[in-house]
Amino acid sequence: MKKLHIALLLIAAIGIASVVSMYGSTTQYVSFNEAQAIYRDNPSKTVHIFCNLNKSKEIEYDPQKNAEKLVFYAVDSLGVESKVIFNGTIPPQFQQIEKLVLEGHAIENAFFAEKVLTKCPSKYEETQASEQSAVIPKQ
Amino acid sequence: METTAAAQKFIGEWLWIGNLGHSLTVIALISAILSTLFYFVNEQNKEVSSTGFPWAKRFFQLHVISIVGIFITLFTIIFYHRYEYHYAWRHSSNALPVHYMISCFWEGQEGSFLLWLFWNSILGLILQRSAKEWESPVMVVVGFAQIALSSMLIGFQFGEFKIGSSPFDLLREQRPDLLNIPILAELGIGNYLQVFKDGNGLNPILQNYWMVIHPPTLFLGFATALVPFAYSIAALWRGNERAWLSPALIWSLVCVGILGLGIIMGGFWAYESLSFGGYWAWDPVENASLMPWLIMAAAAHMVIISRSTGRHLFTSHLLIQLSFWLVLYATFLTRSGILGDSSVHSFTDLGLSGQLLLFLLAFLSISLLVIVKSAWRIKLAIFFLSLFLIPVIAAYNLPNDAHDTFTSVIKYFGVVIFLLFIIVYVWMLYQRTKAELPDETLNSREFWMFLGSMFLILSLVQVFAATSIPVFNKLFGSKTVVPPADSYNKIQLWLAMPIMLLMAIAHWFKFKETEVAVLKKSLIKISIVGLISGVLLIFGFGVSGFGFQLFLVISVLLIIANAWYLIEKKGMEWKRWGGGFAHVGFGILLLGVLVSSVNKNVLTGSETGIDLAPEIDENGKIDEKGVKFNRQNQILYKNQYQSIKEYDVKYIREIKGVGNDSIDKYFSVAFVKKDSKGKVTDSFTVNPKTQNNPKMGMLAEPSTKHFIHKDIFTHVNYESGMDRKEPYASFKTDTVSFREVFTSSTGKVQFSIDTMDKAMQSSGLLIRLAVKAKRLNDSAWLHPTFGISSDMSSFQSKEDNNESLGALVSIVNLQIMDPNPSNPGAVKFVVTTAEKTPVKNYIVLQVIEFPWINLVWGGTIIMVIGFALSVSNRISQYRKLMNA
Repeated sequence: MKKLHIALLLIAAIGIASVVSMYGSTTQYVSFNEAQAIYRDNPSKTVHIFCNLNKSKEIEYDPQKNAEKLVFYAVDSLGVESKVIFNGTIPPQFQQIEKLVLEGHAIENAFFAEKVLTKCPSKYEETQASEQSAVIPKQ
Repeated sequence: METTAAAQKFIGEWLWIGNLGHSLTVIALISAILSTLFYFVNEQNKEVSSTGFPWAKRFFQLHVISIVGIFITLFTIIFYHRYEYHYAWRHSSNALPVHYMISCFWEGQEGSFLLWLFWNSILGLILQRSAKEWESPVMVVVGFAQIALSSMLIGFQFGEFKIGSSPFDLLREQRPDLLNIPILAELGIGNYLQVFKDGNGLNPILQNYWMVIHPPTLFLGFATALVPFAYSIAALWRGNERAWLSPALIWSLVCVGILGLGIIMGGFWAYESLSFGGYWAWDPVENASLMPWLIMAAAAHMVIISRSTGRHLFTSHLLIQLSFWLVLYATFLTRSGILGDSSVHSFTDLGLSGQLLLFLLAFLSISLLVIVKSAWRIKLAIFFLSLFLIPVIAAYNLPNDAHDTFTSVIKYFGVVIFLLFIIVYVWMLYQRTKAELPDETLNSREFWMFLGSMFLILSLVQVFAATSIPVFNKLFGSKTVVPPADSYNKIQLWLAMPIMLLMAIAHWFKFKETEVAVLKKSLIKISIVGLISGVLLIFGFGVSGFGFQLFLVISVLLIIANAWYLIEKKGMEWKRWGGGFAHVGFGILLLGVLVSSVNKNVLTGSETGIDLAPEIDENGKIDEKGVKFNRQNQILYKNQYQSIKEYDVKYIREIKGVGNDSIDKYFSVAFVKKDSKGKVTDSFTVNPKTQNNPKMGMLAEPSTKHFIHKDIFTHVNYESGMDRKEPYASFKTDTVSFREVFTSSTGKVQFSIDTMDKAMQSSGLLIRLAVKAKRLNDSAWLHPTFGISSDMSSFQSKEDNNESLGALVSIVNLQIMDPNPSNPGAVKFVVTTAEKTPVKNYIVLQVIEFPWINLVWGGTIIMVIGFALSVSNRISQYRKLMNA
């Protein structure tokens, strides 16, 4: 066997390992109820939830008290509503936003979001959903 | 309905210019087809005659003229604000400055394809002059790309099927719903242009100087990937010649250099004008442009090996072609709307993803056609054509209820056939290009270069696997979350190390065989110097963590090894510095990436990065117990110093943007740094901006103070102007005379009228009061006015208020006790006061320190210069070879 072939095999092994490890650590989008179950099993696991903002309930944001606390209610695809506490400044045009992706943990009665990805029906162009990231990079 | 629309006359439209544009598009497509056909025939019958050859050339030139014509036509439409055209209405507006009009081209999909066509045309013209005996086969491939791209602009609609999307479509045809408004029912629909006097406007994010030059650079990089691909196809078509390697090397180096520059420019733009606080986020759009770059970089090195040693022809072909396919894949990812849920970039889906997919398959088919034996080519071509046509015809004739089953069958069969196709292709390519050569030795340059290229491929595999997750989700209906930036960093950190190590040592080996004793001496010398400097720099930069430290040492080794090589081996022959110089630049770039991201410091963040934010509710209980809050921002009240790490920071004032209707607000924030004796050692002001865009909401643009060794990045995440306005309340009316103190209804604000100005105007008498309002220690002047018409029949009162005092005063009436003007004391004023909670002006500011980020930009510049040197050196080598 050529030396080159040995090297190639090694490299291929590294490649497979890195892809497998990456796919192994990916997560699926879940519902609020599933998120609670996951938190009970493994409190350190971060989950992602697709949901809609409940505009009929109050959105609390008082920057002078805490500029990085936003409280609102969201409904997941199964129709389950949850209180959401987001650790971050209010995303632009938050009141107009419909769809959200939350990233965080469902602790007891509220979902604690570390990141909120917002997708608003932008007035900029009715046919185009413009996206604005509200992600604050965490170290 | 349609007949009435056809009979309808529309007033004020410039239909001729759209017709011109449409005609030019058709001419561009037809001339591309003819040129490609003539070049094809010429290549197939090159022994017989070449009468078609000049025609092939001329038709391509006609194609280029049409493309330039389309460009000018579309620009004219935007320049003259012809909003009857959907593209102009959608992407521009009256207020748009001329220098940003060019950016309208890349906001829309049609404009992007046009830009791509334009660059390909220019490359085609260069190839017509430089490709010499390779012109025909290479131009067939370029021409084919032009056919594919031009057809994206045609905009024909056959029932459900749509071919391309034209930038010359009319607004009233694209969006008939918009004409359905009451005012047009009154004016008559033919007068719609009287209503559509302004466009939607260009996305404000794109209104940035970097956005004028970044997309064309990136697209030029994408476009140049076509040329090495064309040479590779041409060589296989001609039965595996090796002479393609020299021109392909030049073009692949051009591609790596320009694409690399374009990618980093995008990063610089993101850093300067977006809010995420960084230049790279592993966003799918960034990854889409990185993937072809990684492979083209590997491919260029493989071509160097093949050219010098005759080895690895298979890998050279495969990587050159893969890089081009990845450009097509990137286009598919970014233009099909498939990334919609996973990227901060926004995309429009024009419903052309089917067409894009078709082109990807067509290019793959061409690659397969040229490597089979010529007797097989026609049969295979017919087979492919039927493979494409059968599903299309079937889909068209299928009853509606069978569509879902049909698509899912097509989907799974499609995936299987596609994979088989790739395997067959790679196998045949291998059979076609393999060469029996003796085993290479460990002390040859090609062995280590090959290994380096393989690691670049590994890096691609990870990026590809992660970025394609939305595609897999779509195909298989899974719901996998796209991995966060962290999971890329974790893997890429370790993959970059062997790449850098191989980049450091490979130059010291010679092709085929290196004298071991000399090599050993050099490598030991370099390793010692590299390791010592690396370790010193670990302390210098203060980098902690084993992985990061190792990365730092290796990147320093890479820089030193290549710089040393240049000085020792190439000396003053700077023309031959290209490769080493590019390596040094890449090393500096990666060193900068490491230091600026590992030591990135959020100055406004809490000390430990974690902050318990217990909030006590009315029952005295702690709310949200046990939840840790991170703090990234600090609130700054106007005119109050606040300490942010070693700085004293004050928000001084806000400045409105230039122009009366400007919606920009700049916040002047002063930073002062003092030493232990209280002496000011450093002070500067930044002006982060917010734009309260009525169409897009709050958009913020950071402001960065650049130092040589670090950047201070500041960004306003919220400002008091965005608070909901509390209305004035507790109205109270008093009748008072001069200097008499009166209060608001709660007594919190004291007022007194100080002076009165009178002015006679044509409309009557205008009275303006100076009222002093006082609340605790704060006070301010208010100036309500009161106008009386000449005939005393009407009054006009204008209130005045001060938000930071929460005080309002207005004049209701005057009571003149003594008409003698010399006795002002005899005037009494009936005034109304009101109050509210004083508004405090504040901003929520994020401040991030990026140490040594200039290494990233500096490294990029050095790398690009290296590529430029390398390209010019290879061109002169090639010329010598041609003339010899």
